[in-house]
Amino acid sequence: MTRLHVVAPTRAPGRAVLPDFVTDVRPRAVEPGHRAVGRAAELGGLDGVLVPFDPGGHDPLVLAAAVLRDTRHVQVAAEFHPAIATPVYAAKLSASLQRYTGGRFAWRLAVDLPPDVARAHGDFLEGPARYARADEFLTIAKGVWSERPYTFEGEHFQVLEGGFPGSRVPRPFPRVYLSGTSAEALALSARHADAHLIGPDDDPGLVPDGVDAALRLRADTDDEAALADEILRRAEAGIAEFFVEPAATPASQSTGTAYWLAQRVLPLLRKETEGVG
Amino acid sequence: MSVDVYWRIAMEGDAPALRLGDITRGGFGPYLPGALGPGLRGGAPDGYGPLDYMGEVARATERSGFVGGLMPSFPETDDPWAAAAALAGETTAYRFMIAFQPGFLHPVQAARMSASLQAATGGRVVYNIISGGGGPQQLWWGDKVAHDDRYARTSEFLDVLKGVWDGPFDHDGRFYRVEGAALPPELRGQPFPEVFFSGSSPAAIAAAGRHADYYLSWLEPFDALAAKFALVRQHSDTPPKFAVRVDVLARETEEEAWEELRRGWARLGGEQRTPDASESVGWRRGREFTAGAGDDLRDLEVQPNVWGGFNRLRPGPLFGLVGDYHQVAERLDELIGLGVDAFILAGVPHLEEAQRVGRHVLPLLKGKIA
Repeated sequence: MTRLHVVAPTRAPGRAVLPDFVTDVRPRAVEPGHRAVGRAAELGGLDGVLVPFDPGGHDPLVLAAAVLRDTRHVQVAAEFHPAIATPVYAAKLSASLQRYTGGRFAWRLAVDLPPDVARAHGDFLEGPARYARADEFLTIAKGVWSERPYTFEGEHFQVLEGGFPGSRVPRPFPRVYLSGTSAEALALSARHADAHLIGPDDDPGLVPDGVDAALRLRADTDDEAALADEILRRAEAGIAEFFVEPAATPASQSTGTAYWLAQRVLPLLRKETEGVG
Repeated sequence: MSVDVYWRIAMEGDAPALRLGDITRGGFGPYLPGALGPGLRGGAPDGYGPLDYMGEVARATERSGFVGGLMPSFPETDDPWAAAAALAGETTAYRFMIAFQPGFLHPVQAARMSASLQAATGGRVVYNIISGGGGPQQLWWGDKVAHDDRYARTSEFLDVLKGVWDGPFDHDGRFYRVEGAALPPELRGQPFPEVFFSGSSPAAIAAAGRHADYYLSWLEPFDALAAKFALVRQHSDTPPKFAVRVDVLARETEEEAWEELRRGWARLGGEQRTPDASESVGWRRGREFTAGAGDDLRDLEVQPNVWGGFNRLRPGPLFGLVGDYHQVAERLDELIGLGVDAFILAGVPHLEEAQRVGRHVLPLLKGKIA
């Protein structure tokens, strides 16, 4: 079944300048429009929201938690890289979000970052070693999540006699999205990913067996027929999930994109396929 | 000078009374009769999660006269960052005191999350920096850095975090290295969270002198607490303010308060009256103060209204105040007299007790008598 997600903004929107004589009580916009986008996705029956990692924007985990709290059905994926925390801590934080939300939180793990961005975030590891570290990160996170006691001695991370207490509230491991076209990236996905994100020009055949293919694309909101056609065509070629962001980048456009996807694009997909949305 | 009074929020689920140990609000254990948030309707989850009860507590806390809540972090709790980020939009004044250990998060990430949360809450983030009790619990978290080194790491962590906050920042240290680290323009200029610094060992006290806005201690017998504060003052160029974490069992009459404890005491078997050990220095100090106490619960009353057996009735520190509303308020005033600038009070259940203490105890406080 094709799943349709919207990409949430990570920066506060710019504001219209009101004339001096118009009373202006607008609160200072210090937050992105992520919550409005989340509510739009929920209201419109989309499958999810992706909060990307944006070095110039707000933190995706904080934004994702707010969107999760505002919604009851959509999946909310946060993009982050494995140097932000130990895998035990990332898993612990995520386990709480799963407990709070009926298991709707997902991980978009960014393994490769531009080197300058990585170094500004305290991460000096380069090359294929980044995939080895991500493998350890995911292995330990999944290990403490489901085994007790759990011990792992890795090169980058370790845990001794770890493992989370059981939870009566459902607490599935977050759905894992990975990406990349290198041999290391694809091998990592084969071991750990639920879905693998590819670019518009990549061959869906690259995606390892048993892993869903996902595509992130920009949409021009003037032309819903074009987007619906593209989604249907690519779904035919094996893409299971689509992450749509506005063609123009202004952050304030995302809410409109979410409503547009729900009201104009989904009906075109429903004509052709069962159970979309 | 005003005193900030916080109220703990349970991150591990809550019991319906201190005398009843079973966690039936939120929490991790199996469904029990009478369980709330989450509950079952016709055998199916009722749609309310553990966070819904926490939201009730947070809203009751801010309405009852507290400035915010301590959100503790242990292996058997939920995570404070997750809870604070999710509850940010549901409160208006509540300060989120997030407990965390510096070793588990990268300082750049901590800066980004904190600044984003400051933007989401209008500057309501407070840190409770803990450096870890040590022993098996540290290894559970995947942390192998030794005790005294952890305080060195905490110091470096806070240096980097503050550097990034005011960035751009370069650093090449023992634990952390960053190059050109800075917050994004729209996150710059947020207020840096107040730091409540925990730790009873000499290494902790030395590190507190550099970084703490508040030095936070568990409640101890008042003489011991005063000595500890003196030690911290001695080790600080600019002494921090002082905060104490105090459990409160306050009732209309003294008899009622002790009866509540007696009923809780009666449910414990002999084994449960011997609490588990930790390698934390604060914990060991607490045990020393109650060493040699007999089996009667009043044997643990080390000075009037100061009772050292709370850890037997719920996980956490040993000492708290027991008495009628006036007695508890008087003891809190005495602590203010010893130099306490902030309290983190707690009681079970956190929801109703926040309302009770806010209504009946806080109004009786007199503060520092000149």
